[in-house]
Amino acid sequence: MNAPQQGFKERADAELKNAVLKIAIDRTTGNAERKRAVAVAAFPEFQAARARGRAIKDHVIAHLDHYLEMFERNATAAGATVHWASDDAEARAIITRICLEADAKLVTRAKSMLGEEIGLPHALADAGIERVETDLAEHIIQLAGERPSHIVWPAMHRTREQVAILFKEAHHPPPAADDPATMVQSARRELRAKFLGADVGISGANFLVADTGATCTVTNEGNAELTTTPPRIHIVTAGIEKLVPSTAHAFALLRLLVRSATGGEMTQYTTFHCGPKRPGDADGPEEMHIVLVDNGRTRMLADEFRPMLRCIRCGACMNHCVVYRQIGGHAYGGTYPGPMGAVLTPVLDGLAQSRDLPHACTMNGRCAEVCPVEIPLPTLLRAWRTRSWRERLEPRSVRAALGLWAMVARRPWLYRLGSRIGVRALRLFGRRGWIGSLPLAGGWTAYRDLPRPSGRTFMEQYRAGQAGWAGQTGREARK
Amino acid sequence: MSARDRILAAIRAARPAPLPPAEAIAAEAAALLDAPESVRPWPVEAVLAAEFVRKASALGTSFDHLPDRAAIPLAVKRYLDTHGLPPALALQPAPALAALDWTDIDTHDVVAPDQTAALGLALWGIAETGSLVIHSGADAPILLSFLPLHHIVVLEERSLLPHLEDYAARMAGQPQPRNAILITGPSGTTDIEGSYVRGAHGPGFLHVLMIGGCGRSRPSSASRTIPRPGCPVIADPTGAHEHDPAIPD
Repeated sequence: MNAPQQGFKERADAELKNAVLKIAIDRTTGNAERKRAVAVAAFPEFQAARARGRAIKDHVIAHLDHYLEMFERNATAAGATVHWASDDAEARAIITRICLEADAKLVTRAKSMLGEEIGLPHALADAGIERVETDLAEHIIQLAGERPSHIVWPAMHRTREQVAILFKEAHHPPPAADDPATMVQSARRELRAKFLGADVGISGANFLVADTGATCTVTNEGNAELTTTPPRIHIVTAGIEKLVPSTAHAFALLRLLVRSATGGEMTQYTTFHCGPKRPGDADGPEEMHIVLVDNGRTRMLADEFRPMLRCIRCGACMNHCVVYRQIGGHAYGGTYPGPMGAVLTPVLDGLAQSRDLPHACTMNGRCAEVCPVEIPLPTLLRAWRTRSWRERLEPRSVRAALGLWAMVARRPWLYRLGSRIGVRALRLFGRRGWIGSLPLAGGWTAYRDLPRPSGRTFMEQYRAGQAGWAGQTGREARK
Repeated sequence: MSARDRILAAIRAARPAPLPPAEAIAAEAAALLDAPESVRPWPVEAVLAAEFVRKASALGTSFDHLPDRAAIPLAVKRYLDTHGLPPALALQPAPALAALDWTDIDTHDVVAPDQTAALGLALWGIAETGSLVIHSGADAPILLSFLPLHHIVVLEERSLLPHLEDYAARMAGQPQPRNAILITGPSGTTDIEGSYVRGAHGPGFLHVLMIGGCGRSRPSSASRTIPRPGCPVIADPTGAHEHDPAIPD
């Protein structure tokens, strides 16, 4: 759903020409990468914690039905209403119905990637309900009419000056200056009345705690609590893979999540929401609804993409991805960008629509190295490539080129001849050690230079080295 | 077939073997919490108060150490004066706070949308992360911790817990409040160009009034099992935390 019309290559091409975007991406992802490295270095038990985190997620995935029923039982006992949705359309219908039955005019929303995944923003607009995004970044992209470009920093593609233009138009009174502090204050002032005037507050969940029936949100701004406390109704949308057995298990994963996402040790506000307002409570919603969403997750349970259900949505894979850092999140075209998005988008939108994404990967493996729950992302991307080949989704030119390569690769003499000619021909295009442009292969050199090859193939150099080595050891022996 | 049945059926179809008995699953889940010291950071300071102050200060929380609760109103007045704020305060409607002498400060128990300062009680502090724990309740409105610009919190030093799991253990099997919140530093955002700005939606200032003798401490449960070299562990001579009416356990 929400798949844009244009192809991935056209979008990536457009983003690569955007110099401002490159600066914005480098600022945020570079910062995140540095801070994560410091946080991990300060936590010597990190690798052991990571293995434990993976084991917790695998345990839940193996017993998902058991934990879903336990969660439903405990959340219901706490006074919440649990709904189940097989896909995005069912989830949208449930949420819209709750809002319309409550005669809701104004809905506040705390950032949730699942809400984006099921197309909630459009559904509320179609139902004629005013939706106010309360996370600062989501507020920015709502004003800009855009989608998130990162799962942790949805507005990271926008510079301070671009944000100032949006706020000056939308805020009353407009911010007095365009430094981040003044603009944050302006958003605080602007959204305060919305928080207190909303009929329904919608949040996501970072964890669903099976043994208490609580949902857990983590934020740094405090917008989740201001979204879920004043309105009469609190709706939670969550993927079924968000379950943990108990609060202590949630804490074990939280240590990994926060360090991997922002380099902090703990989010400012870690909140467990357990049912609606209790009799006598000073504040809180009268009703709490929890919508458990499948949307392709049970399909993943049965195939090779099952490890992806471990994902805790930290964004470390995209912060460390050489491709994401060149093209940003919008080029991916789905709800989730970067390596985890390239694995999930074919599940959500279909492989035929998104077969380019698993190819937009250099297989350098950095995403898997930093993943806090050890998801083998390159292996999963390769699995999509294989499936795309088997289902004959690859274009004819790719099939023909790969067929030719396979023919040559099966004949070693031909392969060696080809590479001998190739490295010598490539040298002709080199200037000062680099190749800046190649005829008929502009795609390889438009955005980067290739190192000029040495002029001899690996096999030629290896043979020469062997001969030299043999001569040398022969001399040594004579001494 | 309902969505619920479809989802549960799909999960069961994806599993080759039948679901193990609930006790076996519970045992496996419990084993995933074994040897917690091997998968969590050690508090560097075995003196919990020192570790808590170190962690929370790094995140921008300020502190005042008080000998007892009677000193709270004066400390609040001092804080308001230092920040050039009017002597007005939204007070958590808890008997422990209402009983104090508020002669010099105009207190009220309703939090205004543009509230300048509010005072509340923390149930626990967690040394590992510098987090304050609050629960919703009849005398504990959640908005009191989120609407004001300056959030002042009373924390008893004897209510400090070493690790996140110690809080989970306190709450295991207990009735859960609607909201249980771990507050770790003032509200902040890095959403505009990654620059850190305080006071995004919640309080821009978090000030802790730590009640109890300075330097007093009690042994951490983790330190008892595996002592960390170089960190002296001083036993709490009073044992007062074992039966404190303010801690619901």
